Amino acid sequence: MSTIAFSKDLITELPYLRRFARGLCGDASLADDLVQDCVERALMKSHLYDPARPLRAWLYAVLRNIYVSNWRRNSKFTGAKNLDDLEGFEGAVQPEQENNFSVALITDALDNLPAQQREVLILISLEEMSYQQAAEIIGVPIGTIMSRLSRARAHLQNILEERGTPVLRRVK
Amino acid sequence: MTYETVENWALHAFADGELEGDERKAMERLLAENEEARKALAAITYQKAELRKAYGNTIDEAVPLSLLASAQRRSSRGILPYAAMVASVSLVLLGGFGGWYAAHQSGSLQAADLARRALIAHEVFSVEVKHPFEVAANEQDHLQKWLSKRVGAEFKIPDLNTDGFALLGGRLLAGENSPAGQLMYEAEDKQRLTVFISANDDGKDEALRLEENGQFITCYWRDGKLAMAVTGEMAKDDMMALAKNIYDQMDKKS
Repeated sequence: MSTIAFSKDLITELPYLRRFARGLCGDASLADDLVQDCVERALMKSHLYDPARPLRAWLYAVLRNIYVSNWRRNSKFTGAKNLDDLEGFEGAVQPEQENNFSVALITDALDNLPAQQREVLILISLEEMSYQQAAEIIGVPIGTIMSRLSRARAHLQNILEERGTPVLRRVK
Repeated sequence: MTYETVENWALHAFADGELEGDERKAMERLLAENEEARKALAAITYQKAELRKAYGNTIDEAVPLSLLASAQRRSSRGILPYAAMVASVSLVLLGGFGGWYAAHQSGSLQAADLARRALIAHEVFSVEVKHPFEVAANEQDHLQKWLSKRVGAEFKIPDLNTDGFALLGGRLLAGENSPAGQLMYEAEDKQRLTVFISANDDGKDEALRLEENGQFITCYWRDGKLAMAVTGEMAKDDMMALAKNIYDQMDKKS
């Protein structure tokens, strides 16, 4: 595949890369930094891409690898919030913000998932990657994907139920 | 809670579209009979919908220009910023300028510039589907005479059939000092190869060199009246052998 053809295909994948990055780290501007690094790395490594395979999954693997190495180097990438922050957030919710409430609830719940569960959940529930693709992107067996996914969903569900649905909170 | 008690992988697999055939039918039956399973599925579906609500609209947002610009910029590995800039400009002009070509350097073509010009011209035109060349291979004599005249140095069109590449045609490339020519070849698997030909203005000879840029390999040399380069995507050894073949054919001519 020529560099020009690769670059064109890369451009069409940018919206998906941005969504994936945002789902992974939860912060729009960090996410775009991540996509920027991913694009540069992808162009540099484009000769390693096998055009017979889906480009999106390959790019997700590139982006995810950058994210994981930044995670280890840089704590600002963890995204996880402590409980105090969450309580502060809950107290700050105003009635007129209720439309944004469920979004804030799910994103805060996500921030409380262990990173390994979050990435699997995002790849499958948001990005609709197959279990096989997720296994390849993360580099673990498919069984590991399934058990992390099931734990992630149970974990998320617990957090959502503990904090109640928006409707219940309004009644309270 | 219902979610944990019915938690099993088949339900997740069903929710994620991973079940097919009998497994899928079995899960549909279970769902029809079992309310706990339905609740568990609803919880998964609810989470998915919430995730989409939170992040899904990213897809419809305009992609920041800085990201678009990065995606258009080619690999910087092994390439000087100048060439990277010219390459990105050439992307923009690809549609409208059939024979557009950038050659900002003054004086004679230096070897490094030769390689870069050849690479850029390769990238611009080897992806052309409708107009990969101006004069087709069936007018080979005309092509040879025309390009020799315009380039300002007589050359013979290399025969690369033994390397598995057939001539498609050629085109003239504009340059600041003198025009250059590009010959395009194609293998059976549609892989393309270009030969770049220009006049060796200062007449200095330079031995065959090889430059690697991403997946592209360019071999180039200056010999007598000609400064030439060949660019394609193949193993280094194969490209060196092919360049040597072209070099030998040119040598016989002079």
